[in-house]
Amino acid sequence: MDMNIETPEDQNEENSRRVQVRFKTKLKPPQKVPSNSIAIPSNLTRFGLSSIVNNLLQAVNPEWKSEPFDFLINGELVRMSLEQFLLAKGISAEKVLEIEYIKAVAPQKEEEPSLHDDWVSAVDGSNPGFILTGCYDNLGRVWKAGGVCTHILEGHCGAVSSVNIIKSDGLKYVTVATASKDQTLRLWKFDAEELVNHPKKIRSFKILRGHKASVHSIAAETSGNMVCSGSWDCTISLWRTNDSDAAGNQVSIKKRKGNNQVEEPQLEGEAISTLVGHTQCVSSVVWPQQETIYSASWDHSVRTWDVEMGKDLSDIFCGKALNCIDIGGEGSALIAAGGSDPILRIWDPRKPGTSAPVFQFSSHNSWISACKWHNKSWFHLISASYDGKVMLWDLRTAWPLSVIDSHKDKVLCADWWRGDSVISGGVDSKLCVSSGVSIQ
Amino acid sequence: MRERKKSSAVEVSSVKKKKEKKTKDNNEPREQKEKEESQSIMKQQKNTTSRWKKEKQRKTTEDYESLRESELSGDEAHGTDRDVDNADDHHEEDQTDGSEGHRGVEESDSSEDEVAPRNTIGDVPLEWYKDEKHIGYDISGKKITKKERQDKLASFLANVDDSKSWRKIYDEYNDEEVELTKEEIRLVQRLLKGKAPHTDFDQYADYVDWFKYDDALHPLSNAPEPKRRFIPSKWESKKVVQYVRAIRKGLIKFDEPKEEEPKFYLLWGDDSSAAEKAKHLAYIPAPKPKLPGHEESYNPSLEYIPTQEELNSYQLMYEEDRPKFIPRRFTSLRSVPAYENAVKDSFERCMDLYLCPRVRKKRVNIDPETLKPKLPSRKDLKPYPVACYLEYKGHKGAVVSISTEASGQWFASGSTDGTVRIWEVESGRCLRVLEIGEAIQYVAWNPLPELPVLAVSVGQDVLILNTGLGNEEEQRRVKDLLHVETPTAPDDNMASIVSWLQHDKLDGIRLRHFKMVSSVEWHRRGDYLSTVMPAGESRAIFMHQLSKKLSHRIPFKLHGLPVSSVFHPTRSIFFVSTKKNIRVYDLLKQRLIKKLETGLKEVSSIAIHPAGDNLIVGSREGKLCWFDMDLSSKPYRVLKCHPKDITNVAFHRSYPLFASCSDDCTAYVFHGMVYSDLNQNPLIVPLEILRGHTSSNGRGVMDCKFHPRQPWLFTAGADSVIRLYCH
Repeated sequence: MDMNIETPEDQNEENSRRVQVRFKTKLKPPQKVPSNSIAIPSNLTRFGLSSIVNNLLQAVNPEWKSEPFDFLINGELVRMSLEQFLLAKGISAEKVLEIEYIKAVAPQKEEEPSLHDDWVSAVDGSNPGFILTGCYDNLGRVWKAGGVCTHILEGHCGAVSSVNIIKSDGLKYVTVATASKDQTLRLWKFDAEELVNHPKKIRSFKILRGHKASVHSIAAETSGNMVCSGSWDCTISLWRTNDSDAAGNQVSIKKRKGNNQVEEPQLEGEAISTLVGHTQCVSSVVWPQQETIYSASWDHSVRTWDVEMGKDLSDIFCGKALNCIDIGGEGSALIAAGGSDPILRIWDPRKPGTSAPVFQFSSHNSWISACKWHNKSWFHLISASYDGKVMLWDLRTAWPLSVIDSHKDKVLCADWWRGDSVISGGVDSKLCVSSGVSIQ
Repeated sequence: MRERKKSSAVEVSSVKKKKEKKTKDNNEPREQKEKEESQSIMKQQKNTTSRWKKEKQRKTTEDYESLRESELSGDEAHGTDRDVDNADDHHEEDQTDGSEGHRGVEESDSSEDEVAPRNTIGDVPLEWYKDEKHIGYDISGKKITKKERQDKLASFLANVDDSKSWRKIYDEYNDEEVELTKEEIRLVQRLLKGKAPHTDFDQYADYVDWFKYDDALHPLSNAPEPKRRFIPSKWESKKVVQYVRAIRKGLIKFDEPKEEEPKFYLLWGDDSSAAEKAKHLAYIPAPKPKLPGHEESYNPSLEYIPTQEELNSYQLMYEEDRPKFIPRRFTSLRSVPAYENAVKDSFERCMDLYLCPRVRKKRVNIDPETLKPKLPSRKDLKPYPVACYLEYKGHKGAVVSISTEASGQWFASGSTDGTVRIWEVESGRCLRVLEIGEAIQYVAWNPLPELPVLAVSVGQDVLILNTGLGNEEEQRRVKDLLHVETPTAPDDNMASIVSWLQHDKLDGIRLRHFKMVSSVEWHRRGDYLSTVMPAGESRAIFMHQLSKKLSHRIPFKLHGLPVSSVFHPTRSIFFVSTKKNIRVYDLLKQRLIKKLETGLKEVSSIAIHPAGDNLIVGSREGKLCWFDMDLSSKPYRVLKCHPKDITNVAFHRSYPLFASCSDDCTAYVFHGMVYSDLNQNPLIVPLEILRGHTSSNGRGVMDCKFHPRQPWLFTAGADSVIRLYCH
């Protein structure tokens, strides 16, 4: 290769060492470079490598628009100069180095924030059609896109602490559940496709009572027939979500308090079972498979529950009060959890004989309030922290891929949306959507 | 063998001879005495007496001899090859012994001892005469006939009748009975004991060297020097030749001669050299007087000579400040006058040396690190609050007091801006603002989780407010509880002191006191609360019952100004701290149990360990006292940590932690482990200094409280911020 591919900072260092490399990729042909090996200066960083690849692509395809790439050597992302990386990992520079390149994972665009009246405490982006948020003004909201609110879920008398979309696909009506600090859970149904000019106010069709303290977290079963909730009363309760009164629940016609005269039939549900074992507030629950529930608690433990038996299968103690948990990654088995310290920990429960985390990410400065795996990728997850930052992580490097710094205060919740956007809500009453995260 | 035997026999006999001599010598004085006593006794009589005495002495000698012989034969018995000639030896010995014994008698120089024994047979075995009618011959050659033998019975009877029979012995040689005198018996007894026969014989007398060396002019041997002393030794010369040859062959090697190191000495060094010091450990050289400088020269340079102005200025100086020596110039050394202060100076020098003791200071060489108590590492004592991750902002004035809810989900804070705020711990959200309108003194959350009620002291009021948390049922109960009917009729003078009123604006009760209320403390059951009015004198501390809306004055006499009060966490015991002391009362028996002497100037706050046996006290001078109530009424430990007033102290409910906060804007966290083993004293380890607050109006951190379930610490600052320190 000739010198024109070298970045300007390399030109004054003619005598720098060179490394034989070969670029390879799993990307489709327009983004594929010829696979012959080339010699490049060893002091190139990711930016330099990226410009080389872009130049190579341009040489093949003249109307190629340069875009950032990320580079993997032996399954690890390059985050320093090539020379330093090789030294640090003990890789010989004599052989032809195989560098795999992938599209850089970083948000491209900051969309218009959705403004709330109060702190945004919960967000769910599991449906690509809308975003569900919970807010400290006791309302849940449904957003079509950034800034377009379609429905308002009205009925809680305490701050909404957690929201979850239960059933969405293939149905006209979408069922969602919200948990609140008024010690209840409510189930709602609405038509997400409906075109509205004004936000439409919706009332819940079912109230689930039974917790003796604020409900902190909610998670739905994969089929959507049941939800579980973690609460400040140290228990996890399981509830049925069916709207017909099959289990003999009392049908009560509740009159709304106050002078609003709208009368509406509301179902009340009771917990079908309660999982007892945590000694402090259950701060987060997830229900990734039919038979297991994972929960994180302020008693410093992560527990795995067998739903049928109602017993906990395993405990992981982390020593810190935990705020959030999510299951995902390789084989949907890794547990990511964050809590009352700035470290995001990832455990592999399949690893025998140890309860030490397999990964620890500690770039945050304050408590971690939320963490979510990408549902397609094995490597990517996001974490939100009270330091106002949302960080995008790749398991293959210890540094965050990107830091979304759009919030001015604590970030309370974050989620993926449509597979390529990061949505987050915080104390500044905004729901920020950062889109264009390309994860293949 | 035989020779040796003989020589030993000779030795024995010679010893015996000496013995005999001694006995005779010792006998003499007694005999003389006897002589003096009986001057009138006939010579004949005297002779006989002395004779039988002589015989008797011989007899004793014989006894002694036989004793010796038996000893000797005993000795011989040990030898194995000697048995053959045993008899001959005996014979010989007997012979020699006998002859020597006779010779010994003959050699005696006393004329009175010349009396020969009656029998003259000599030293022959007596069995030779066993069958004869005579026992021997007297000196004139006549036979001495045997006496008539008495039969046994007669002799026995005679013995019984005769009181002296026990000291009569039968002399077989002379065939007569001899009566021993007392002296002789004593002598025999002494011999039997193995002592010298006579008491006045000193066995261990000092050796007297009879030879006189003093005036001997010549050596003992005056033989001339032998020739060999004057000629060189042949053997030595042979040895020398041998050495010389060996050296020539190189078999013997000599050490290299040591190179002599040139001796240096420090010409300009101190006289008190190290060697001298080493010689006299206690010697400390006197400090040197100052050496003369250039100005003391007879002809110093011009710049040393003071000008007239300087001389004048010296006159204005104080005597002590004036320079001692004023340099002057002289044309030659000759013209230098005598130094007028020479005597004075040397006197002062002497006085200095004499009066100022030169003592070598003993430096204690101890590593200060070893003096520190051995404390466990901080890492092992985790978790404890370390870093601040959350701040609760919203107050506009100094936050004076905070209180956490029992489950740890919320906490309340009171500020000087007249508001009470209720916060959510996890998110830092202010859930509720209760506008009171007056600077808050103290907030206390009810310890029951199902009774979300807050006691707030404001000026002269104590407000019991509904926080509005909890579900509807709980709210209903709280509302019932916090409802006061029309003020109860003033049944006694209590009404003028404390009155229960409904709060007009907020949902709650207003307890009107007659003086400023400084602190409010809930009982663990959540029904009673105590209030402290420092200015209330005898009615300073009240106990209120929320369910019955009743108030009591505690029936104890207080000595001093009360500061705060605490309930025992498990028993019905009540602690009241005054400025100096802490009094412990039993509420059931209504009596004083204990008085704890803090030794502090002014107590500011107390906190009790959740087990109830330990107490910490913070004071205005920055000292923290830990009391072990089982141990003593004096503090177990006093920690002087804060440079400024301690404003509050707190124990953690479940972790072994306690904290103190101070006006120096810091909070200290300690590990305070109390063991269930009563023999083990509590372990106190300082862990962390938590900083972050800023000072405002000279106040720093006003209150600190632990999270009830997590090892987290809330601190309320005068900078209107509340911080949460997490582990």
